[in-house]
Amino acid sequence: MLFVESLYSAINSIRANATRSFLTSLAIIIGTASVIAMIAIGEGAQNALNDEIDELGGRVLSVYASQRKRGGVTYGSNPLIIKDAEALRDDTKVDWKITPSIEGSRQIKFGNNNMSAGISGHWTNYFDIQGYKISSGRNFTENENLSRKRVAVIGPKVATELKTSPRTMLNKELLISGVPFRVIGILESEGSSGWRSPDDNVYVPLLTASDRIYGRKTVNSISVSISNDQNIEEAMVAIEQVLRRQHDIGPGVDNDFRINDWSQYSDLRNEAVAIFTILITGIAGISLLVGGIGVMNIMLVSVTERTREIGLRKALGATHRAIMMQFIVEAMLLCLLGGIIGVILGAGMYYIFSSFQEWAFYIPLGAIIGSITFSAAVGLFFGIWPARRAAKLDPALSLRYE
Amino acid sequence: MSIIKTADLKRSFSMGTQSVEALRGINLDVNAGEFIAIMGPSGSGKTTLMNIIGCLDTPTSGKYFLNNQEVSKLKDDDLARIRNKEIGFVFQSFHLLARSSALDNVMLPLKYAGEKKNIATERAKASLNDVGLQDRMSHSPSELSGGQQQRVAIARALVNSPSILFADEPTGNLDSQTGDDVMALFKQLHKNGQTIIVITHEEDIANQAERVITIRDGLIESDKLVHENE
Repeated sequence: MLFVESLYSAINSIRANATRSFLTSLAIIIGTASVIAMIAIGEGAQNALNDEIDELGGRVLSVYASQRKRGGVTYGSNPLIIKDAEALRDDTKVDWKITPSIEGSRQIKFGNNNMSAGISGHWTNYFDIQGYKISSGRNFTENENLSRKRVAVIGPKVATELKTSPRTMLNKELLISGVPFRVIGILESEGSSGWRSPDDNVYVPLLTASDRIYGRKTVNSISVSISNDQNIEEAMVAIEQVLRRQHDIGPGVDNDFRINDWSQYSDLRNEAVAIFTILITGIAGISLLVGGIGVMNIMLVSVTERTREIGLRKALGATHRAIMMQFIVEAMLLCLLGGIIGVILGAGMYYIFSSFQEWAFYIPLGAIIGSITFSAAVGLFFGIWPARRAAKLDPALSLRYE
Repeated sequence: MSIIKTADLKRSFSMGTQSVEALRGINLDVNAGEFIAIMGPSGSGKTTLMNIIGCLDTPTSGKYFLNNQEVSKLKDDDLARIRNKEIGFVFQSFHLLARSSALDNVMLPLKYAGEKKNIATERAKASLNDVGLQDRMSHSPSELSGGQQQRVAIARALVNSPSILFADEPTGNLDSQTGDDVMALFKQLHKNGQTIIVITHEEDIANQAERVITIRDGLIESDKLVHENE
């Protein structure tokens, strides 16, 4: 009954001073809204990143050459060659797909326009491994690779950069370092996946790149795509075994290559997202603290304004506890409402953000419960002092307070 | 039966370095069912006396027995409980909660008494009925006239069936006609056995009581029975 009366009185008081109550809880609203939005964005970014990594090479390992060391002495690097990729391909212990990549950039020319573009040579399964799709034309064939045909598949932005359309370039000649190549396929736009975009690259058969463009047998990297039912760690061990045998590395000697696991990047990014979330949550915490002080200030004003009411309540038999409860409930309700409005606002902000990002709309329930509970706790903490002031008022003096 | 008994009641206030004696030794006996007016000019100490015998304040020295229980040494919360159960207050400025209905205002002391809601509602309705406001229960104070507001306050003061009804200048904010109505209501209550103490500085209000006590400079100056002209 007493609690109901306190709640009733708190609702009346907040409604009577609606504008003031709203302004007071604004800091709580903003704090809670940013916590909710940031936690949701953090969560969304993490999910989107994981999806992206799974989709675009979450199960693709890249092998690079690295410096060979023995007892701290560097022996110089031992490059990866096409034969290494072939050895991996021929090893059938693990279910994987292999493609080497020879990468570099060359001047390309179409009509009167020219530009510098990334030219890379691969086996025919490269697009399949990377999950890239050809929108028009076709992929190059194994025969074209073996006979070092001058054919190229281009990313859609290459055409744009050369001030023409992909459709115009298909089946036309493109000059790479002055040598004519026939454009046989156009990739679908993949968009930028972080630091590289497949859209502005030119792709040619591996042996064509090796013999006709770059004149080397060394490759920049070997991509290993591991099927879903295979364990990534086991695959890494298998790659190591094959390449150590290929490179004739004795026991106790370090690898002269390194295997990049894409999930490492994912871990790194997740960590960055986590740091970002902590930072924003900290700022939101400060905003809640400031909000709490604002609430305390307004509650002190409210106690002074309502001195006569407090005096009356005491005259009618309100105990210390009853008055305390009345004002703490009011402070908590003020913060609680701020918290609830903040959650709704934060969810709305995230809803807009997620629809732009095409992320799933999801807010962790724990974040909602946590931030509402926390804002109520802010009200409790900052309500205690004003409530004590009210409870300690002298009834006889308060009744005659002007 | 004695309801109020005070022995050499003193109350002093410190004003900066000075100490002001508002009450300088009050000896008072009030029996159940009496209708008393306490008179005195402002600054005489009549308000301080009401605060102490209304358990809103405690004396600096002396003893105060309410219903044969010494209350002069009680703690704040015990005094709050006594005010809740034994004392009903009516104030000059009504002191109603502006945003609550008449019924909710009257229920307030019952809420502090920890009464169950349905019982509290019944008793508050009965109390409003007693003061003739059964048709105004859901009205807020701003929708009521001054006289009606004061009657809500009287209903609130009586809802816990207190031993004493205190009225501090109950007609001070009312026109004379409405003031007379309120006094008539007091007389009616008195006839039904309610002990009433009215604090006033108006002689014609005081003369409607049975007994008039005049305070001056913190002491009882006179204490006499009034014989009404029937």
